[in-house]
Amino acid sequence: MTDNMSVAVSSPLVDRGHRPPAVPPGAPAVERHRRRSRIRATVEAYVLLAPSLAGLALFLVAPIVGVVVISFFDWNLMGAPHFVGLANYREMMGDSEVWRAMRNTTYYVVLNIPAQTVLALLLALAMNRKLRGGKAFRVLFVLPWMAMPVALGIVWSWAFDPQHGVVNQFLALFGVDGPAWLSSTTWAMPVLASVNIWQYTGYTMLFLLAGLQAIPESLYEAADMDGAGPVLRFFRITLPLLRPSMFFVLVTNTIGSFQMFDTVYVMTQGGPGGSTDTMNYHIYQQAFQLFRTGYASALAMLLFAVILLVTAVQVLYFRKRTVYDFS
Amino acid sequence: MSSLSTAVRRTTLYGILAAGALLSIAPYLLTLNGALKRPSDLLSTDAWAPAHPATSANFTAVWNQYGMSSFLLHTLAVAVLVTVGQMVFSALAAYALARMEFPGRDWIFWGYLATMMVPQMITLVPLFLMMRELNMVDTYAGLILPTFLGTPYGVFLVRQHFRTIPKDLEAAARIDGASTWSILVRIMLPLSRPVLATLAIITFVNTWNNLIWPLIITNSDRTRVVTVGISALQGEHVSDLPHIVLAGAALALLPLIAVFLLFQRHIVRSIALTGLK
Amino acid sequence: MSATSRRVLAATATSALLLCLTTACGSSGSETSSSGGTVTLRYAIWDAVQQPALQKSIDVFEQQHPKIKVKIELNAWAQYWSKLQTQMAGRTAPDVFWDHVAYFPQFAQQNVLTDLTPYIKADKLDTSIYDPKLLAGWQQDGKQYGLPKDWDTIAQVYNKTMLEKAGLTQSELGGLSWNTTDGGTFVKALQKLTVDANGKHPNEKGFDSKQVKQYGLALGSSNGQTDWWDAAAQNGCKLQDKAWGKWTIDQPSCVEAIQFVRDLRLKYHVAVPASVTNTPNGASLPQVMARKQAAVVWDGSWDLNAYQSSMKGNFGIAELPGGPVGKGTVYNGLSNALYAGGKHPKEAWELVKWLGSEESQKIIVSEGSVWPGIPTLNKDYVAVWKQRGVDVSGFSKEAEGTTIGYPLTTSSATYSVKVQDAFNQVWLGQQSPKAAADSVNEASNAAIK
Repeated sequence: MTDNMSVAVSSPLVDRGHRPPAVPPGAPAVERHRRRSRIRATVEAYVLLAPSLAGLALFLVAPIVGVVVISFFDWNLMGAPHFVGLANYREMMGDSEVWRAMRNTTYYVVLNIPAQTVLALLLALAMNRKLRGGKAFRVLFVLPWMAMPVALGIVWSWAFDPQHGVVNQFLALFGVDGPAWLSSTTWAMPVLASVNIWQYTGYTMLFLLAGLQAIPESLYEAADMDGAGPVLRFFRITLPLLRPSMFFVLVTNTIGSFQMFDTVYVMTQGGPGGSTDTMNYHIYQQAFQLFRTGYASALAMLLFAVILLVTAVQVLYFRKRTVYDFS
Repeated sequence: MSSLSTAVRRTTLYGILAAGALLSIAPYLLTLNGALKRPSDLLSTDAWAPAHPATSANFTAVWNQYGMSSFLLHTLAVAVLVTVGQMVFSALAAYALARMEFPGRDWIFWGYLATMMVPQMITLVPLFLMMRELNMVDTYAGLILPTFLGTPYGVFLVRQHFRTIPKDLEAAARIDGASTWSILVRIMLPLSRPVLATLAIITFVNTWNNLIWPLIITNSDRTRVVTVGISALQGEHVSDLPHIVLAGAALALLPLIAVFLLFQRHIVRSIALTGLK
Repeated sequence: MSATSRRVLAATATSALLLCLTTACGSSGSETSSSGGTVTLRYAIWDAVQQPALQKSIDVFEQQHPKIKVKIELNAWAQYWSKLQTQMAGRTAPDVFWDHVAYFPQFAQQNVLTDLTPYIKADKLDTSIYDPKLLAGWQQDGKQYGLPKDWDTIAQVYNKTMLEKAGLTQSELGGLSWNTTDGGTFVKALQKLTVDANGKHPNEKGFDSKQVKQYGLALGSSNGQTDWWDAAAQNGCKLQDKAWGKWTIDQPSCVEAIQFVRDLRLKYHVAVPASVTNTPNGASLPQVMARKQAAVVWDGSWDLNAYQSSMKGNFGIAELPGGPVGKGTVYNGLSNALYAGGKHPKEAWELVKWLGSEESQKIIVSEGSVWPGIPTLNKDYVAVWKQRGVDVSGFSKEAEGTTIGYPLTTSSATYSVKVQDAFNQVWLGQQSPKAAADSVNEASNAAIK
């Protein structure tokens, strides 16, 4: 899915046109034929699109409309819904737990994304050298990606156990007295972030590696002739040309991070002291534990708005520097 | 001197990579190792101490008495159906968007792009209501339908790949009188194996590991999938039967690993390939 | 993949979907099926410890009603209520389910429970066999929303060997008292029962609170029922100002009780640290006892069979200590409720009636599972446990003394969601009792409908 961004300068594939070939004005018969085939093509296209569009409309667009509507109501899904206007939004603005959840989510994203991206980049750079056994490493690094977070919950909880956990036993080797990770308001969130970093670094690396491999060798050779050192080469060639991959990786990982749920659900349930109560978990709790679906819908709108905003900022940032081809 | 430092650097690099690889698989190994331990050894030995003697009793118990066999079967059925559905319907839509001229195409394409950002949580309550009105709560249809017809992500992925396939091939077939359908099936799909494989594995993994939707939409043993089963097992037995929970976790994790290792050459290459352009 | 195999795949997918939509997948998994005149009822419970005894009773029911099958659906307490309410919202709730005082008012308000009065009248059911207090607990506006299943109180379950070693007896343990200044005789006894790796007790010099081998006490509760609510009852705290009224857990008498429970862990070091026992992922009380981490726990009578299976009669029951105001415990009971949206109300009523019958409760009692809802069977329960070498009369003596019940309110769901995390923080020493009580109290009162 990285190929949503192709660097205009380097891609030979840009503008493999959809424009109809410039045809000289033909005879009316040809014109009629063309119109008929155009209509046929349109029908055909919509037939092909129909199932997917139906899915999009029913299971994505309709629910979004639905959530907007529900956010103006007070409803436990059972009795009659009560229209409350903007009351849910007003309550949301003054609800300290919502802002705590928003802060927690942001903190999680901030802990998560830079560390994960840098690690993945370093890993990709290492793997980009033609190493023996590189393929095997690549396979091993991707394995965490497919781990079921709920299934690993028990192992993580044990690993971070204050007394018998592997993590603290390891730290003890260096004379460090590790904290009670999951019952500490300071450490619980970093633990969740590191679980996520463990899970997605290898997968992210794959995309960056693909980006690295797409950089033409000739550019490096030219730089070598100019006598550029490895650092300069990295910042002048590698990083700029990696931007499309970076863009993709950052946007999708950030959107994903804002939606963290499974690990919280199985490991901390928002605790201790609400320190891991993320937006997604909070919305789930409001909707399916307290059945305040109107309020939960308002919170979902807030989360959506934040994700849109952050994505927009990322797009703008990268747009200044990269040309991509969405068409 | 310089060759020595190269050797040192190489060794360091391998050391780091090996450590990373070990870290990557350690949680799996700890799960499997713990699942193979006798209940009495589980709490009295270190997590990394090898299961000795190893026992399969935990697996037998979780498979037979705690319903793991049926959870896995349900999950497999759901994941296969969703994967097949996504591949078929994404490919159809992707072809129309990549290759056909028709009014509204760009609008539709931007519609797909925009909905890629919609968080899953936002659709839960309305989807739940919809399923309730369709009498599909606690049914396989309810589990499968929301993703069966394809996701914007899948359509986008395949569409981008279709656009890299040279148009000449198609044009030649058109001249030979090939229909759209046969162009799609005979030309586009065979040339898109890597991207379809990627879509398949991503969909399969996501469906296999999906927790929140099954958690809400299903509630009986007949529709219980493995994520819900495992989280229930943990909620009930994490303190008194941790060996059973571990065995369940191992059974939930291992099938994906097996599939992955079986197809790893295709998968790693195809994920990498979709990144290339 | 060849073109042919792809076509086969596509055909398979399409036909699978069609098949799925028209047959199996279309029919609800939770729909109570009725094939060949046989009806299958779904019965939701949350306690795995009680399941074997319950299954015995159901086996008899199925023998007596060959056209009705019953399937028990077990969900742990932590997930039970969220699941049940989601099922109700999805109109697929189980036909019969365990109901709790905490959620009963909310359910009654939401019209998801069947009023049993017409059934009771039609079948001329004698409801005078039940403890009137229990029966009345399931009434609202003259309607009967469930038949009593059982009752329970909280007492001290102790390890016989450990108690003997410390030179204490059951009656001594049951006669202790605590206060907020020095902990009283209760803390003194627990100090005797707490030993560190060097054999030192918490009141001795050189005691290492980080290396405790055996604790005097273990406490654990997701809502307070088996820990601070009991201390609150012993300190004169009322959880609620009146039935259907406001929560009052921020009152000084309540906060003192919370402080005392906190001090057992963090000041006196006689109770297992919260990081071990805290919900949601901590060890359960029977588990702590099985691991010999503690000599005494405060637990409900419903867990007796769990202790029996791991300790094989090497445990006893003593009354809870008295507090500054006197003795006190939480008294509660469950009912079997009939879902209003079920497809087989008649059959479901047969099940509810059976589960409330003397015959069924005799089976439950003979398994030592829970105290019965029918008071004449109490003595049988005592006899069953006497045979196993355990004197369980502590529970019933407490029931006759000062008790508090679950608050009657529609905001229990909010309380449950808020209280667990807030109080875990108190037990870990990361939040003050007053602050936690205030925040939970405020949120719970705000959610009253």
